[in-house]
Amino acid sequence: MTDMTRRNFSRLAGASLATLSTSLFAPAVLGQGKPRLVVIGGGPGGATVARYVAKESAGAVDVTLIEPLKQFTTCFFSNLYVGGFRDYNSITHGYDKMQKSGVKMVHAMAAGIDRGKREVTLADGSKVGYDRLVVAPGIDIKFDSVPGYSEAAAEVMPHAWKPGAQTQLLVKKLNALEDGDLIVMVAPPNPYRCPPGPYERVSMFAHVLKTKGHTKSKIIVLDPKPTFSKQGVFMEGWEKHYPGVIEWQDPKVHGGIKGVNPATGEVITDFATYKARLVNVIPAQMAGKIARDAGLTNQSGFCPIDAVSMKSTVDPNIFVTGDASIAGDMPKSAFAANSQAKVAAMTIRAELTKSRAFPARYANTCWSLIAPDDDIKVGAAYEPGDGKIKQTSGFVSQRGESADLRKQNYKESVDWYNGIVADVFG
Amino acid sequence: MTMRVRGAALVLTAGFFVAAAAETAATRAADIELGRYLSSECVTCHGAAKAHDTIPNIYGISETTFAEVVKAYRDKSLANPVMQNIAGRLSDDDIAALAAYFATAERQQ
Ligand SMILES: Cc1cc2nc3c(=O)[nH]c(=O)nc-3n(C[C@H](O)[C@H](O)[C@H](O)COP(=O)(O)OP(=O)(O)OC[C@H]3O[C@@H](n4cnc5c(N)ncnc54)[C@H](O)[C@@H]3O)c2cc1C
Ligand code: HEC
Repeated sequence: MTDMTRRNFSRLAGASLATLSTSLFAPAVLGQGKPRLVVIGGGPGGATVARYVAKESAGAVDVTLIEPLKQFTTCFFSNLYVGGFRDYNSITHGYDKMQKSGVKMVHAMAAGIDRGKREVTLADGSKVGYDRLVVAPGIDIKFDSVPGYSEAAAEVMPHAWKPGAQTQLLVKKLNALEDGDLIVMVAPPNPYRCPPGPYERVSMFAHVLKTKGHTKSKIIVLDPKPTFSKQGVFMEGWEKHYPGVIEWQDPKVHGGIKGVNPATGEVITDFATYKARLVNVIPAQMAGKIARDAGLTNQSGFCPIDAVSMKSTVDPNIFVTGDASIAGDMPKSAFAANSQAKVAAMTIRAELTKSRAFPARYANTCWSLIAPDDDIKVGAAYEPGDGKIKQTSGFVSQRGESADLRKQNYKESVDWYNGIVADVFG
Repeated sequence: MTMRVRGAALVLTAGFFVAAAAETAATRAADIELGRYLSSECVTCHGAAKAHDTIPNIYGISETTFAEVVKAYRDKSLANPVMQNIAGRLSDDDIAALAAYFATAERQQ
């Protein structure tokens, strides 16, 4: 292909695209005023919907994003911060580009949703009306799922499963360890955000110990699950890079996690009591409070949705995206949240502006770093089917792959991070 | 012009493929609006890419080359499992729509 043909071609097609963009993409506005979309939660699930509806409808929809944080630190790649591969700033992003995308930012906490009146009440009592609402508050931690654990205990035994101060506390404690100290992780039960996340984190703990030359320290993972995501490849990696350092215990080995004692630093199982200098407790999880309060959750603690649109099955004016939703076969990941947000945005635009609707398609890929340049991945495609979001194909890293491939995976993950962050925050 | 297309060698050695694809593109108008919707899946990974990144830039590739490369991932003659999985469910029309969109679109970010 020569330079010439490529340029000629672009010019031609560029012209037709310009014509199209006024006729096809220009929305037909319903009613008198502009239709209003309100989005609660500025993570990948919420911010992506806000940006996509705003930019694709070119001003025809009034889009407001409600998010208390001015700076959003991503949970994704926070393990790389734990391992010393990223600094905190590089995983923290502002909302300053949202305005340019046509999104009105309201930095406040949404305190309640009046579904009858179609109104969101903010923490200061002011109200924001909507025609369509997206609820994307992420997860809340079920502190009482681990006996002895609490919000106060998290100041001593961090969960670091929500980003920000918790992650920084975890890193501070990790860096203060001395050779011979024990680390215990209490892993979460399903469903939780980022299935490979706890095991990537353990890898990063081990990497930090190795870097510091701590040969006498150990890491014990107490898992309520009999198996975990990418288990075979993780364990192969642990054996290769950190032999004898990580001991993973399934319920048959520990007999049950009885509780934690933040005052003594103890973790008690059916068979043993461990006293550790660093205890990372990752409890069970549920949809963010605002979703539960609005009656959008079922007995699982998460929000049922219609797989063709991400619309709440409880309220036709509300969509739930990201970790708060029950997304069938999809894991709770930033990639998944971003993918779901695009289906929701497409549907919302079609409903509010009569723009064209397309069949829902979803995708996910999650990379996990085991050691420097040794990165594994799992991914899948999904579509509506059998009344849920159903996996249609997938792949996972295999044991014994070449170092080159694993290094390429790592580079892919860095490129993905840049891509998704730009896609979510502008 | 330095554009890295992994499938380039493959396309060159299979010249008849190029001819066939050119014919399809000429005889059927690609659905650019569909391409724009489908592209939202691609930009999660490709959106911030520069030409020499591991996840490469895919804006401004000629339609023919673009379609051939994506089809090569679809039929697994190009190796990356991420792209094989993505391309696996794309129909010929989807690929034509994406090719037409990315050949001409401005970057979103
Ligand atoms: C250690 C770790 C590693 C991870 N690694 C990866 C990875 O490699 N790849 C990947 O894809 N995913 C990863 N994840 C998962 C990913 O972080 C989440 O799945 C993703 O953040 C979910 O997005 P969300 O928008 O649903 O929720 P969140 O990102 O939690 O965003 C929710 C937002 O809503 C706001 N909010 C909550 N309540 C209200 C309210 N009442 N009013 C206004 N705003 C409100 C919150 O302030 C928050 O900003 C990881 C997670 C962890 C913990
Ligand atoms: C999960 C991340 C991811 C997503 C999503 C993704 N890609 Fe890719 N893409 C990659 C990676 C990684 C490569 C490099 C593959 C290789 O090494 O062969 C690639 C390569 C390509 C190439 C070859 C470019 C070149 O110069 O060699 C094309 C074309 C392409 N992708 C198109 C697409 C399209 C179209 C979509 C959306 C339908 C898409 N990609 C979605 C990760 C992704």
